[in-house]
Amino acid sequence: MADLVVKDLRLRLGDNEILKGISLNVTPGQVVALLGPSGSGKTTLLRAIAGLEQPHGGAIAIGDHVFYDATRGIELPAEQRGLGLVFQSYALWPHRSVFDNVAYGLKLRGTPVAEIKSRVEKTLAQIGLGPLAERYPHQLSGGQQQRVAIARALVYEPPVLLLDEPLSNLDAKLREEARAWLRTLIVTLGLSAIHVTHDQVEAMAIADKVVLLDAGIVAQIGPPTALYNDPATLFAAEFMGSNNRLDGTLLENAGGRAIMELFGERIVGVARTQAAKGGKAIGIIRLERVHCASMPGPNRLKMQLKAPMYLGERWELVFVREQLSVRTYAAAPLQPGEHYVEFPPEALWVF
Amino acid sequence: MPIILYRTLVLGVTTLAVVAPLSLVVYQSFLTAPFFDHSARASVSAYSFVFADPDFWQAFWTTIVIAGGMAAIAVPLGALLAFVMVRTDVPARRHLEPLILIPIFVSAVVIAFGYVVAVGPVGIFSTMAKNVFGVVPWNLYSLFSLIAIAGLTHVPHVYLYSAAALRGLSTDMEEAARVSGANPLQVALNVSLPMIGPAILFAGVLVFFLGFELFGLPLVLGDPQDVLVLSTYLFKLTNKLGVPSYQLMAVVVVVIIAITAPLVFMQRLLLRHAQRYVSVRGKGLKTQPLKLHAWRWFAFAAIVFWLFITVVVPLFGITLRSFVVTWGEGVKLAEVLTLDHYRELLDYPNVVRGILNTLGIGVIGGAISVACYTAIALAVHRWNSGWTRLVDYLVMVPRAMPGLVAGLALLWVFLFVPLLSPLKSTMASIWLAYSIVWLAYGMRLVSGTLLQVGPELEEAARVVGADDLRAKRDVTVPLIKYGMLASWLLVFLIFVREYSTGIYLLGPGTEVIGSLLVSLWGTGAIDLVSALSVVNVVMIGVGLGVAVRLGVRLHG
Repeated sequence: MADLVVKDLRLRLGDNEILKGISLNVTPGQVVALLGPSGSGKTTLLRAIAGLEQPHGGAIAIGDHVFYDATRGIELPAEQRGLGLVFQSYALWPHRSVFDNVAYGLKLRGTPVAEIKSRVEKTLAQIGLGPLAERYPHQLSGGQQQRVAIARALVYEPPVLLLDEPLSNLDAKLREEARAWLRTLIVTLGLSAIHVTHDQVEAMAIADKVVLLDAGIVAQIGPPTALYNDPATLFAAEFMGSNNRLDGTLLENAGGRAIMELFGERIVGVARTQAAKGGKAIGIIRLERVHCASMPGPNRLKMQLKAPMYLGERWELVFVREQLSVRTYAAAPLQPGEHYVEFPPEALWVF
Repeated sequence: MPIILYRTLVLGVTTLAVVAPLSLVVYQSFLTAPFFDHSARASVSAYSFVFADPDFWQAFWTTIVIAGGMAAIAVPLGALLAFVMVRTDVPARRHLEPLILIPIFVSAVVIAFGYVVAVGPVGIFSTMAKNVFGVVPWNLYSLFSLIAIAGLTHVPHVYLYSAAALRGLSTDMEEAARVSGANPLQVALNVSLPMIGPAILFAGVLVFFLGFELFGLPLVLGDPQDVLVLSTYLFKLTNKLGVPSYQLMAVVVVVIIAITAPLVFMQRLLLRHAQRYVSVRGKGLKTQPLKLHAWRWFAFAAIVFWLFITVVVPLFGITLRSFVVTWGEGVKLAEVLTLDHYRELLDYPNVVRGILNTLGIGVIGGAISVACYTAIALAVHRWNSGWTRLVDYLVMVPRAMPGLVAGLALLWVFLFVPLLSPLKSTMASIWLAYSIVWLAYGMRLVSGTLLQVGPELEEAARVVGADDLRAKRDVTVPLIKYGMLASWLLVFLIFVREYSTGIYLLGPGTEVIGSLLVSLWGTGAIDLVSALSVVNVVMIGVGLGVAVRLGVRLHG
C-alpha cells in the first residue's frame, strides 16, 4: 500500500483562504496528528481529504488512486475515496441499530449478507461492543457511541482512518482512557490514521508524527519528541507545552548560541533566530525546565516569589520582577521573598 | 441516477408548473379574444376596456379599503392576544391555544354562510334579537360588517407570528420594566410589542396581502349590497359579456398579481429581518408568567368573546340550519328539526362525488403533494449553487396567485395544451392546481423538517460509500418521516378546506366540497349548502383532532 500524499493543498471558503498550501504524507501504519489552535484549518484539511470540502488547488492521492488534482481537474466524490471518517459528533444514524450503522458501508459495497454479518460482528467484538449490536444509538453512552462511530469507519478496511476530534465529546477522565484505548486499537490493527485535535497532549500521546498547523500553513512536522523538545518556530515553541516568555535584547548570536540581555544580566540560550545582535529577543522556556536557586550564578535572575499555589502533586511558583513573570514547579513551597531563578542554557530557546 | 440529472429534472418540472400558467395569463391579457379563437390578435384593448370600467375601479378601491381595514383590526388584536397567551397567567391557556387557530382551518365560505344563517336579516340570532329589541340591531350586509368579520377571522395569523417572536425573546427586558413599576398593559405596549415590531409588521403585510386573496367572504356577504372586490369582480366577469371574456379576466388577474407579487416579496424581506431581530435569545430560563390578578378573567372573557363571534356564531348557525326545515319568527325549534338535508345530499350524485373527491384529494392528493414538495426540497437541500435561489423565487410565484386566479390559469393551461386536455375533467387537474397554489406552504413545512437533520449524518453516509442520492434515500428521508407525516396532515387540512382554487375547474368528475358550496350557494340551495358545510367542518375537525392528538404543530 502506498502513502497518502497531500500536496500544496489550497482551499477557500468565501473570501477566506482556509488552507494556504498544505503538504504532508502518511505512510502505511502511521498515525498522524493534525494539531493546531481553532481556526488553523485542521478540520477543514481533514474534510478536504475525505472529500467533503472542495479545494481549489493542490493534490490528494494514495499512490495511483488520485482523489483530487487541481491541474488534472480530478475530483472524486467522497463516496469513491473509500476512506473512513469518524465525526466529532459521531453522526450515528439514529434510525439504525448499532449493527446496521456499522453494516451500511459493507452493504453499499455489495458484500454478501453472511459476510456482512461476520465482519460486523468481528469489528464490534474488536472494539468491545459485541453484545450491543441490536441497540440504537440513543441507548448508548457517549463512549459507546464513539466506539460505534469508529467501528463504522473501520469495518470496510479503509486505507486511512480519519478522526475528527473523536475524543472531544468525552469528559476529561474518560478521554484519557479512550486515548490509550484508541492508540492501542490503531497499533494492534496496524492502521494508518489522521487524527485531528486541538489538544497537544492528545496529539503527542496518540501520534507517530505531529503536523502542527498555524492559520492554514504547516508550522512544523515531526515526531512528538521533536516538536516538544526542538520547536522550529516561536509559534511551535509557544503552542506546545506550558511556557515562560522572556522579552529582552539580543547581545550575541553565533554558533547556535544566543545571548540576550535581561535586567542587565546575560542570559545564554539556544539560538532559534538568524537576527543580528541589537534587535529584540524572545526567550521561551518550558515551565518544568526553570530551576530555583538561593544564590546568584550564570543564567540566573534575581526575582521575587509571589503566590505559591498548591496543585496536588506539586506546587506552582510565580516569580515576578517588574513586568516579567516566570512560573515554575517545585516539589515543596519556598519562603516568599527574593530568590534566584535559573534558566538552563540548553532549555532556553531564543527567537 | 446521478444527482445532477435528478436536480435538473425536478427544477425543470417545477419551473414549468409554476411559469406556464402565469405566462399564459400574461399572453392572454394582450389578446383581443380568447386564445383558442382564431380571430385573436395582439392588442392592449383588454386593458383599456377594464381600466375604463367604473366597476373595476370601484372593486379596486373596495379591495384596498377592506385589506387595510382588516389589517387595522387583526394586527392590534392579534399582537395583544399573543402577549396575553405567551406572557401572562390568563386561565386555561393550554386549552385556548388550539381553539384560537380554528379560524385558520375553517373554510371562509363556510364561515360566511354561517354568518348569513346566524346573523343575516332572517338569521337565528337576528330573529331572537328582533323578539327582544323589536328590530335587528346589526346589519350583516354592510361594508363595515364585511371588514369586521374579515379582520376578526384573521387575528390568528397575526397571533401566530407575534407569539413565535415573543417566545424567542428573552423576558429580561420585560422584567426590568416591571421592576421599574410598569403594569402588564404598559409592559406589553411599551416593551414587548415594540420589541417584536418587525414580526408584527410582517404579520400586518401578510394580512393586507390576504385581503387581496379574500373571496368567500365578499362573495357571500358583499353580494346582496353589490359590494365587489377584485376577486369577486373577476368571478362576475365570467358572465358579464355573455361570451367567455378571457382577455378581460386575464387583465384582472395581471392586476391582482401586480399588487400581490410585491407584497409577497416584501413579506420575504420582512420575515428575514424579523428573524434576525428575534435571534437575540435569552438564557432559556423558565420565567414566571406575568400576573394579571383580577384582569386575567377580563382577558379570558375577551378571548372567549372573540372566539364566540368568529367561531361559535357561524359554526353554530350553519350546524343548526342543517338540522332544521326552516326558521323564522314564531317557529318553534322542536317542530322543525330534521335530518332530511343530509339524506338529500345522497340524492345528488355530484354532491356524493364531491364528498368522496374531497376526501381523496385530501388523503391521496395530499400524500402525493407532500412527496412532490419533498422531492423539490431534497433537490435543493444543502446544494451549494445559485440555482437554489431560482427555487426560492419560483415558490413565491404561486404565492402571489390567489386560489381563484390559479385555478383559472390552470384551466387555461389545460385548454391550451392539447396533450393535457383529457386531464381537465379529472381530479388530476384539481390536484395540480392545489399543489401549485400551496407550493410555498408545503415547501416551508418540508424544508423546516429537513433543516433538523444534521449535515454530518448525510456526510457520514457519503464517506462510507453512498452517493448523493443514495445518502438522501437511506439517511435523510427515513429521518424526516415523522415530519413528512405531519406535513401530510396539515396539507390534508388545507386541501379539504380549499374552495376557491377548484371553482373554475368545477365540472362533472372534478367536484370538491369547496367549489360545490360556492356553486350551490349561487342556486340558493341553502339546505344542501348548510348540510354540506357541516360535512366539511366535520372532516376538518377530525383532521385537526388527529393532528392535536399526535402533537403536530399546527403552524409550519
